Amino acid sequence: MDRLRRDVILIRLIEALRQRGSWCGETHVQKAAYLLQEMTGVPMGFEFILYKHGPFSFELRDELSAMRADGFVSLRVQNPDYGPSIVPEPAADALRKRFPKTLREHEPRVGFVAEQVSKRPVVELERFATAFYVRQEMGAETNPNAIAQRVHVLKSHISVEQALVAVRTVCSWAHEAASLRPGSQA
Amino acid sequence: MTAEIISSQELVTVWEAMTPPLRCLDIMKLAVGPKQWAEYKKAGALPVGATPFSDWEAILAEVIVGDAFGVDRMDYLLRDSYHAGVAYGRFDQYRLIDTLRILPKKHEESEEPALGVEEGGLHSAEALLLARYFMYTQVYFHPVRKIYDVHLKDFLAVWLQEQHQGGRFPTAVDAHLALTDNEIMAAILKAAREPDSPGHDAARRIVEHDHFHRIYKRNPVDAEVNPGAADAVFAAACDRFGNDNVRRDSRPAKGEGVDFPVLTEDRRIESSLKMSDVLLKIPAAAFDFVFVEASLVENAEKWLKDERAKIVEPQEREQIDGSATA
Repeated sequence: MDRLRRDVILIRLIEALRQRGSWCGETHVQKAAYLLQEMTGVPMGFEFILYKHGPFSFELRDELSAMRADGFVSLRVQNPDYGPSIVPEPAADALRKRFPKTLREHEPRVGFVAEQVSKRPVVELERFATAFYVRQEMGAETNPNAIAQRVHVLKSHISVEQALVAVRTVCSWAHEAASLRPGSQA
Repeated sequence: MTAEIISSQELVTVWEAMTPPLRCLDIMKLAVGPKQWAEYKKAGALPVGATPFSDWEAILAEVIVGDAFGVDRMDYLLRDSYHAGVAYGRFDQYRLIDTLRILPKKHEESEEPALGVEEGGLHSAEALLLARYFMYTQVYFHPVRKIYDVHLKDFLAVWLQEQHQGGRFPTAVDAHLALTDNEIMAAILKAAREPDSPGHDAARRIVEHDHFHRIYKRNPVDAEVNPGAADAVFAAACDRFGNDNVRRDSRPAKGEGVDFPVLTEDRRIESSLKMSDVLLKIPAAAFDFVFVEASLVENAEKWLKDERAKIVEPQEREQIDGSATA
């Protein structure tokens, strides 16, 4: 996927999160983009490693900076209780107009991820995204308890009980997301 | 290459002689840092036994190679500004280091620890990040410096093809370390003096300071019309003046780690971007330049002035039915 198409999907994802009430800090965008790519299969080509608050992509961070430099998004402190939000700017309109097919093609998956992510605090997103990352590494058929134990080892501030809830939640999301993939029979 | 050098027998002997002995994999991880670690992962080149960064390893990596407060960054900004004879790479590193703290990112509703600063060090952090912005825009991304990079790459592409199969620097540790600036400088001078030598043109341009000149830089006005405006200008210039007479160099903005926790005087933890309007407004450093051969500059500038609007107009739009239109 080329850079501008990837940008238009990210802009739509940010909008979808905000429309559903997210304050949309970088961590929300990181975790939402991770799930969009790895769980629903939108091929944005970012490499995620386990790092800040779970799966994190330096390429995505760079892309968000480049989008700021291009004027597609900006950082604004909108709510005194939270950190800065990522906000689409009018310059993003040129991209939306140029790539309507890309937007339409990925809209159901963007909507699905935004629905799961938007209302959740970062602390929960970290658990869920980490649980999905570990599940992907260990294999989808691995016992949820084993995945939860591994999550706890990797992120010691997440308890095994919290991790287990997260594993079960992402298993159910993954099941639902499979029906949204192109060519799915569901 | 860094990982290979760290794990070379020569250095392993050093690590193992320490008390307690150091583990190669730990050194590699911290020296390479998480960003490069992700590149290794993408290339399927993670060392055997590699594990994800723990919270504490991530913080230690931030201290060493981090975007915001990495000691590597502090060192090169101060050193480069000193040697370049410019003032804007300076900042109060002593105050900054004294006020660094490990803090939970409560402003992001998280308990995960991260590297931050006390409120008293915030201005030093601003100074560091401004210094970095100025050094990038004024020194590292200066168009004349960039075009010499391009000429050097042109030369190396040909010269390395002659010297080493594949046209790349050798990646075996001994061969890599054996190739120094001296060999390259001597080769440039030799090629510049001998018109039939491979890479003569690029070498001569470096030696005689006969570099290409910039005719276009990415700008917000054109980008609003077409985010790919620089691509369009480069392609049109190649058509008009020939591929050999046109060069391009660019670097998009990179993540800069300006959002970090700040411990306020009344013991709250806030986002640096909430505490500092300066950090919120520092632009991301980026460039995208198109250059032409020096003798064509006047002609090229006139051509671009006359044709710019037509060139930057987007050539393709997706249609909802799946087709693309010109």
